[in-house]
Amino acid sequence: MSAPATTNDLSRPRGRALPGLIDGTLVTLLLGAAILWFAPVGMGRYGTYVLSLWLVMSIAVMGLNLTLGYAGLKSLAQAAFMGLGAYTTALLTTKLGVSWYAAFALSGLLTFAVGIVLGFPALRVKAHYLAFVTLAFSTLIWLILRNEQWLTGGVFGISNINRPDFFGIKLFGALEFHRFVVAVTLILAVAQWWLIRSPWGRAFTALRENPIRAASLGIDTRAYTLLAFAIGSAYAGFAGALYAPLVEFIDPSPFSLSQSFFLLLMVVAGGAGYLLGPFVGALLGVVLPEWLRFAGSLYLIIFASIVLLLLIACPQGVSGLLERGWTKLTGRRGGTR
Amino acid sequence: MKSKLAIAAMLAAGLALPASAQDKIKLVDVIELSGAGATAGTNFKNGADLAVADINAKGGILGKQVEIVHYDSQTNPGNTRAAVQRGIDEGAYAILGPVFSGPIAASMQISQRAETAQIVAGEAAGFTKQGNPYIFRTSLSQAAAMPKIAKYLKDTVKAGSVAVVWVNNDFGKGGRDAILPELEKAGIKVAVDVATEQGQADFAADAIKVKNSNADAVFVYLNEEESARFLRAAKQQGITKPMIGETTLLGAKVLELAGDAANGVRGHVGLSTDAPIPALQEFGKRYREKYGFASDHNGIKGYMAVHMVKWATEKQKKIDRKGLADTLRGATIKASEEPGILMDTVIEQNGDLDRESFLAEVIDGKQVINTTLPRIKP
Repeated sequence: MSAPATTNDLSRPRGRALPGLIDGTLVTLLLGAAILWFAPVGMGRYGTYVLSLWLVMSIAVMGLNLTLGYAGLKSLAQAAFMGLGAYTTALLTTKLGVSWYAAFALSGLLTFAVGIVLGFPALRVKAHYLAFVTLAFSTLIWLILRNEQWLTGGVFGISNINRPDFFGIKLFGALEFHRFVVAVTLILAVAQWWLIRSPWGRAFTALRENPIRAASLGIDTRAYTLLAFAIGSAYAGFAGALYAPLVEFIDPSPFSLSQSFFLLLMVVAGGAGYLLGPFVGALLGVVLPEWLRFAGSLYLIIFASIVLLLLIACPQGVSGLLERGWTKLTGRRGGTR
Repeated sequence: MKSKLAIAAMLAAGLALPASAQDKIKLVDVIELSGAGATAGTNFKNGADLAVADINAKGGILGKQVEIVHYDSQTNPGNTRAAVQRGIDEGAYAILGPVFSGPIAASMQISQRAETAQIVAGEAAGFTKQGNPYIFRTSLSQAAAMPKIAKYLKDTVKAGSVAVVWVNNDFGKGGRDAILPELEKAGIKVAVDVATEQGQADFAADAIKVKNSNADAVFVYLNEEESARFLRAAKQQGITKPMIGETTLLGAKVLELAGDAANGVRGHVGLSTDAPIPALQEFGKRYREKYGFASDHNGIKGYMAVHMVKWATEKQKKIDRKGLADTLRGATIKASEEPGILMDTVIEQNGDLDRESFLAEVIDGKQVINTTLPRIKP
């Protein structure tokens, strides 16, 4: 799961860039990346930072979307996996002087491996039982992050986390790092786009829709469930590996159980099972509260009300709402999910 | 396909950020208005607002009106960083807050890079030891307060053993790590070392542990609401040993929430509206009139922070962002020169403060100051 390997994965769909393989989602991803590449010009470092934070959270939500939206597994440990990735990267880069790229790859590998180990119970338990298993895991990770001070810095956290170089270009500036985040997000998003279209992705969806039928059609439900969970966890690890150098400081609080719930909310609000849903969900979760700051002390109440109304009006999230609206307008279905 | 484009259009809608360049001195207060730090943050915000109103009523700073905006940090490091960055982008003359040290650690590089003073309310020892010349405290640090507590436990309380109860966050852990070596130096044994959780509701088990330890005294180092809950639990368990605390345990909010259970609590207080200093008492009175509740030490910190900016700006006789930090560093602000600072304050080169502090006891639900301690370096 190292960065170069991911790039190789990408070159395949690009190499076979037949018209039938390009769909609205891919065009939107590429177009969105191009817009985001230039968007922060003249926006100031605050706006740039918020945009970067949005993208980093989107990666974590993308992972959870794969687990929940495509494979139908309710996980409450996404923030814990993100913490695992963030601490791995922070410790490797600050204490051992490992390059960020290696740390990024290792963070992904580690969370993938832990995902597989934790995913085993997913074979036996489903629904809320799985939620409890992941809840326990989330608490465990949080306690380790907080109590093992010799390793993680405990409640004092780890500060002065360096930002990576890109072939000699320093990425200390907000804009440079933002563009780096845009590039990494695009790579991961396109990788998921490809994954969803691959036989694996079809198998994930089959698992969610009807596991018994999927099994009777010869899909190895065991392996695919495990794989979906592990890949989803690896995305959280990648997000953590970007979060640490973005904030340049980490402590256990952003990786607590409540953050896992918040990530879950972003998946549902954005639209579970839509490839672009995570971006909308993270936009609601990260950018909307910052936008609402003009409302002063009421902003969190307004934020909560908006999310509440949204979920009542549209349980499929914003993406579902847009799709429904588009279907009504044109009388036909939009692009593939 | 077009539905995807519609989503894209929504995503691409950029952030419209208001950019205001008015002929005012703009202060940005990044503070805990929600989350675990909300009690402390609200006090700080109110104190700062009161200071700005006072200064503007008297004609502002160097003839310019002061404008203050408050951004909620949600007691979250990432959000704090965003808010401080926003303040810097909006051209803040100085950043005030936050209170919790995690959020301070996550945001202080931003103000340092922008060469802007950040005047915080944190008491944790660590962040002034990192060589950041733009960070300033508004109160004593734990490192300065804990030796005073150890001395008090040894000389006044005459305790041979102490139960230490602390909250397992950066504040509590920092205080606990600072007091243990001081207790050892003073020859006081730690009978039991009890870690508690931030936001913990039930302290019965902890109170029983403390009771069973048979320590001569109990040192309680928790945030405000937890302090009150612990005091109530200790009373229920019939703990009669002296309860000793540092500032938070004797804070106004704790006394209000703990009621009877707070009576007899003693300890060291860095800042208090009950201190025998008329300016502090006057501030406490006006704060209560305006907001309807008593200010704790964080309210005083907010008031002082704004007046530190005022004093330094008038001292350098110009609105110079970098100069503000340069002027504050190593300064001695006398209350006779700048009444708003409330008490004489020495700012050290690293942003730590040195000033008088107090020993207090809670009698009939009121904090009574009985001794004024001198500065560490008189």
